[in-house]
Amino acid sequence: MKTMLSVTGALVLAGALPALAHHAFGGEFDANKPVLLKGAIVKVEWVNPHTWIHMEVKRPDGTREAWMIEGGSPNSLLRLGVTRNSLPVGTEIVVDGYQARDHTLKRANGRNITYPDGRKLFFGSSGTGAPVDGADPTDRRPAR
Amino acid sequence: MTRRRSLGLTTVLGLLAVSALAPAQIVGQGAKPYSPPRMPDGRPDLQGTYDLATLTPLERPAGMNASLTGEQVARLERAVATQVALGSRPIGGDRAAPPTGGDGSRGAAGNVGGYNTFWLDPGSSFTIVNGEARTALIVDPPDGRLPPLTPAARKRLLGLARPSAENDPGLDSTPGVYDDPERRPLPERCLLGFGSTSGPPALPNYFYNNLHKIVQTPDAVLILTEMVHDARVVRMNAQHLPTHIRKWMGDSVGRWDGDTLVVDTTNFNGDQYRYAVEAAPGRRLLFVDSLGAKEQDRLSGPGKDLHVIERFTRVAHNALLYRFTVEDPATWERPWTGEYTWPATGQPIYEYACHEANYALENVLRGARQRDGEAATRP
Repeated sequence: MKTMLSVTGALVLAGALPALAHHAFGGEFDANKPVLLKGAIVKVEWVNPHTWIHMEVKRPDGTREAWMIEGGSPNSLLRLGVTRNSLPVGTEIVVDGYQARDHTLKRANGRNITYPDGRKLFFGSSGTGAPVDGADPTDRRPAR
Repeated sequence: MTRRRSLGLTTVLGLLAVSALAPAQIVGQGAKPYSPPRMPDGRPDLQGTYDLATLTPLERPAGMNASLTGEQVARLERAVATQVALGSRPIGGDRAAPPTGGDGSRGAAGNVGGYNTFWLDPGSSFTIVNGEARTALIVDPPDGRLPPLTPAARKRLLGLARPSAENDPGLDSTPGVYDDPERRPLPERCLLGFGSTSGPPALPNYFYNNLHKIVQTPDAVLILTEMVHDARVVRMNAQHLPTHIRKWMGDSVGRWDGDTLVVDTTNFNGDQYRYAVEAAPGRRLLFVDSLGAKEQDRLSGPGKDLHVIERFTRVAHNALLYRFTVEDPATWERPWTGEYTWPATGQPIYEYACHEANYALENVLRGARQRDGEAATRP
């Protein structure tokens, strides 16, 4: 019992938190096509089963590409007070993730979505589940 | 935006604090029995919206007591809250792309990572029943664990295992699984929530959108699940449908046992859990913990002979007690029972219109067609 009274214990108890999701990300995105995208929001589809953020990415050569970024269900964000106006068009963001397995699609999962200074777009409500890869030096969760 | 966000977070934390405390105060065993508000027909009014999210897992972790002390609850819940706060910290805008070959994430995150914590809402407090902070939803067997699988079920479930493709842990190697939309899991097709969100039994999904709404009339009770907008209509004082009529959530009929609504569900489709589980290959699916450690990673759930009995009792103005017994002689060696408190919430259920923008299903199938094309042109 005593061993459960640690942070690790809490997480063990709190969940066997399964990486459940609406669908398999692994079937949708290509682990060999990592992307880092910087640009401005063009449109946000606050829709289920997943939010899609449309952005215009500026390439180093000055050209621009339209990308779509997959996020989570918007419902829990609505309960946090987020509205359709919370991510205005033109907001600059940085996204890391992986491109769709169909490489003709400029789509990626929003593994991490932040502002240019690295702040997350919103505060988490509760629980775990975000990527663990060492990008966050404060993250002490074991890699899943 | 910043202000709104702060307000939102404060509100949520406030609600969570209340929900963590309230059940202990309201579900206590006072000398005077609680008298629920009543409908015009004299039956208890069970209506409301309830948030089923909880830190209490279905099965009790090894070595734990059935309940936690107040101090343990405080420490564990604080630890989880700390993790949430850490997940909200900045990570640097000048970071690099994630590693080629995948980030090693398992489960539905399929080696490409999931998404940020801020999308999630899996719960932040333990369920409290009879004043006890519980460490498992299961109360029978008394060890809080699922009963053993029958030998036939072991064989059946292992036969359903969905192995990862060689050299690509994000892919399922089951033949034909990407060939047809109807081979895709029910959540991916927007037909049922993952896990046992809709049930029955209705279980927390430990992820998000755990709200359920009850609407009650003398003839029928509606149980609306936010995830995938699953609506189950319980016909009161009715007979079950003929056995050849099978439904994903089964056929539910209800009756009153004193002030408790008893719902009996049979006529399951039989594949509801096979396809309601998460889509990721090789992942442990719901309801299996009776296999060995290695096999746990494999599969699945009960079949068409599943029989679920649920008992809904209003135990306070802002809480129901939900108790359920599950039996399927073809799957488990004995029935099992669980219970947890459903705290009422002032939050609305939001629409979960899932089909119109289900780009994910399209992306999954398009990726498979690209692989088909590459395989066909390979010398």
